[in-house]
Amino acid sequence: MSELKETLKAQIIEQLNLEDLTVADIADDAPLFGEGLGLDSIDALEFIVLLEQNYGIKIADPSEGKEIFQSVDSLAAYIEKNQ
Amino acid sequence: MKIHVTGYGLISSIGTNAEESIESLRNLQTGIERGKSEATKAYNLGAIHLSNDELKKRFDLKTDGSRTALLGMVAAKQAFEGHELSENIRTGLISGTSVGGMDISEVEYKKYLDQDGHNPENYKHHSSGTSSDQIANELGISHFVNTISTACSSAANALMMGARMINNGMLDRVVVGGTDSLTLFTISGFKSLMIFDEDWCRPFDDSRKGLNLGEGAGYIVIESEKSLEISKKQPLALLSGYSNASDAFHQTASSPDGHGAKLSMTEALRVANIKPDEIDYINAHGTATPNNDLSESQAIQSIFKDRIPPFSSTKSYTGHTLAASGGIEAVFAILALQNGYLYPNLNFKTPISETGLVPQTTFEEGKEIRHVLSNSFGFGGNNSTIILSAT
Amino acid sequence: MYFIHTIASISHQDSFQVPNVFERLEKLGDDSDIISPNYKEYVPPTALRRLGPVLRMGLTASIECRNNVDADFDAISVGTALGCLKDTEKFLVTIHTTTSDFLSPTAFIQSTHNTIGGQISLGLKNHAYNMTHTQNNLSFEVALIDAIMCVNEGKQNVLVGAADEKIDFLAQAQPDLIPDTHPLTSGASFFVISPTKGSTGIGVRDVHTNFNATNIAKDIQDFLSKNKLTTDDIDVILSSNEQPFSDKQETLNYLDYSGMHYSAPAFALHLAHDYLLSKGKKFALIVNDMCPGRLGLTLVEKQ
Repeated sequence: MSELKETLKAQIIEQLNLEDLTVADIADDAPLFGEGLGLDSIDALEFIVLLEQNYGIKIADPSEGKEIFQSVDSLAAYIEKNQ
Repeated sequence: MKIHVTGYGLISSIGTNAEESIESLRNLQTGIERGKSEATKAYNLGAIHLSNDELKKRFDLKTDGSRTALLGMVAAKQAFEGHELSENIRTGLISGTSVGGMDISEVEYKKYLDQDGHNPENYKHHSSGTSSDQIANELGISHFVNTISTACSSAANALMMGARMINNGMLDRVVVGGTDSLTLFTISGFKSLMIFDEDWCRPFDDSRKGLNLGEGAGYIVIESEKSLEISKKQPLALLSGYSNASDAFHQTASSPDGHGAKLSMTEALRVANIKPDEIDYINAHGTATPNNDLSESQAIQSIFKDRIPPFSSTKSYTGHTLAASGGIEAVFAILALQNGYLYPNLNFKTPISETGLVPQTTFEEGKEIRHVLSNSFGFGGNNSTIILSAT
Repeated sequence: MYFIHTIASISHQDSFQVPNVFERLEKLGDDSDIISPNYKEYVPPTALRRLGPVLRMGLTASIECRNNVDADFDAISVGTALGCLKDTEKFLVTIHTTTSDFLSPTAFIQSTHNTIGGQISLGLKNHAYNMTHTQNNLSFEVALIDAIMCVNEGKQNVLVGAADEKIDFLAQAQPDLIPDTHPLTSGASFFVISPTKGSTGIGVRDVHTNFNATNIAKDIQDFLSKNKLTTDDIDVILSSNEQPFSDKQETLNYLDYSGMHYSAPAFALHLAHDYLLSKGKKFALIVNDMCPGRLGLTLVEKQ
């Protein structure tokens, strides 16, 4: 699980073009949207692309994303469950 | 200074001119249907079922150009029909577009990627400015040409700029409006934003899921008093109000309380020097996205309070024609003023739960329509409002 | 008169935050690149990460302008001929190569021409009039005409500018798209104009466009005479081609310094301003005929 989380962080940095961040900068449970990293609705769509491209998981309704993308923890849990 | 409307023209999936469009509007006949080609079969679109060659032949177009330019030529020519060029009337063309010649460029670029018959010559149609040059050329207008590119508010902004150039004494007569053709670029773009409705769109409905794209063009001719004295054209309406403001909330989403929309509607009413309760019909932007329709509804409620006039989105007829929408909808507004039309908001069942607003659901005619307000809101928070009034 | 209160240019020259751009001006070779300020000082990382070159340049130049004046802009008018090419190309590659149902949206939303203006309003939380004009080589002139109308209509603090970027692919399409021999470049120049006189007393007196220009010399004569001037009154002519107009004025080809992009006339205004300021001269004329038959003339004055 922790390897998945580290990989995820690297993928997030790349997909969202977070140029100045390293994997070490993203805490597992840090909120990704709103405060924390301050990501927005476009980033949520990029997450959907990331999940499909890297894990073959399709999310058809963007509003489902809110729960799933809360943090690296919740993302990793979702991937484990749905792969 | 009064800005007189002396011509109009349009083409969309519901008709290639005003008469055909009125028939469709009256008969509740949408132009939106499932795409017919391999690339479009997954989408509901308001497509115009005429190829570029058919457009050129049917409408006797002499200038070559992208599909965007050709559609623009059809509508602008209709609008300018019967107008004569004169060295005493400084005439310009201001056109809005968001895709320009992308319909050609995207095909050419694929050939580049596939290394298969790439011909850079074809990019000469790409630039948005060039599409306007081509439309102006078709009409013989050479005094002034400009292109406005503010996404979905482009045509409305073209109307506004034309009026201001007349007021500022820079032009006497302007052909203003907008055009956009369907492209793989925009279809893919809106798909990537996940704001399509897989079914027929439902503006202002509580269950709305998103928009259907469309293509088309709409232009009107506006003239100063001085120009009217020379051209002797019959004024059909007045372009009495116009405004543009920025939402400054997000790149693609509108602020939940419709702040930018409120600003643009308020200012347009001020320019027209009329009160909200003098508006007889609102042609809403109404794209049927969850975000726009709520935001726009909040703004309408805030300005019109408990005296909300009949309102509807005609995008469940035409699809969202992007930069052309403000131009096409301006023509609908003028037809409403002339004939007392109220247009239904097709495919509506349940009001948005947060607002309870019910749009116009039937086609009516012979109503007393003196002032029509039309909204066009573009990406980048670019909010524009146009008011057209009876002469 | 439409007085210039501040200027910010990002270009292939060392032009940003310099009191006199002529001091560091060099004729451009083929290998020049944008000389960028530290964008991080202007744009927060969550916004900056999405911005291609033309967006970074346009937004930063505008923020710099805002930093140099006392009030929020009450109108914004932007010119761009080809818009956000990098993001346009990126999305084209995406749509032609992705087999998946899910496409990355960022390049699409950043590709529209008015993303420049949109980012400015977003970055500055500005709710004023915001327009984007795109008319090939005359994009800046039209944006300027709009800004002039805004001032005529009572606006006091109008941001006007133009920006264009080059991508490698443009050179492929170049012979047909952009007929010129200067190296393709990128650039953004933004100005704040106002009805009230600024510290330099320099401003735009008049702008003229001709979309069917057949006799440039006559157009210039008519334009100047409309402003009660003759070519004898002009101290410097900034032109987009090699031909000098007369022996009397100093002439320079601004494309030698901006390189070739359609927003170069905006950089020419920056050059004209600094020329008049540093040499204590009175009138400059900018001639834009980068596209045959499409002429732009801008008269700059120091009062």
